[in-house]
Amino acid sequence: MTTETITLESSRFGTVEVPAEAVVEFPTGLIGLGGRRYALLARNEESTFVWLHSLEDPELALPLTNPWQFFNSYEVELSDDEADRIGVSDAEETAVYVTVRAAETLEDFSANLRAPILIANGHGHQVINQAPDAPVRAPLFAGTTEAAA
Amino acid sequence: MLIITRRPGEKVMLGDDVVIEVIEVSGSSVRIGIDAPKSIPVYREEIWTAVRDENAAAAKSDANLPEDLPLKT
Repeated sequence: MTTETITLESSRFGTVEVPAEAVVEFPTGLIGLGGRRYALLARNEESTFVWLHSLEDPELALPLTNPWQFFNSYEVELSDDEADRIGVSDAEETAVYVTVRAAETLEDFSANLRAPILIANGHGHQVINQAPDAPVRAPLFAGTTEAAA
Repeated sequence: MLIITRRPGEKVMLGDDVVIEVIEVSGSSVRIGIDAPKSIPVYREEIWTAVRDENAAAAKSDANLPEDLPLKT
């Protein structure tokens, strides 16, 4: 059995063949950015960062990370309306990512804990997290830059 | 911008499917109710703007991200 692949054109990574199961449909796009079809790209299974790459725009890609790699006590709370809108029912089946703002130095890297991206069954939604203490720009490496230098 | 005067209990239609109702006016605050189809997400503008800006900034990230990073403990 052959795995179906889709060709992705990327200004960052060139032409990439991605397996069909890496495709994520966003019915309402990313907030303020739009886009309906993306693919999740990772260098390898253990990558700290993965890329959410548009299948429609070669320039459009955002690095994501698993928030619990950096924020042990991170929580996502959805309003009833939003949970109903996106149809999330099983937290076990839902992958949670946060967008990453990369920067020149590690200490300026941040993640958006306010608007995580939930992916289940090939469908993705960027949602507003109602949990307290979920800033849009949470430093990823605060206090660890000396260790990284 | 279209500007309409409404009283509490009165509504505005956006197209056929989105209803905005003025619930209550109290001092400098207005409570509004929004009834929209599930396909239309509703955001407070300042949150939408902040998230849009973060998404745009994330999308400017360089292709070369560091690996083997020190994780917060």
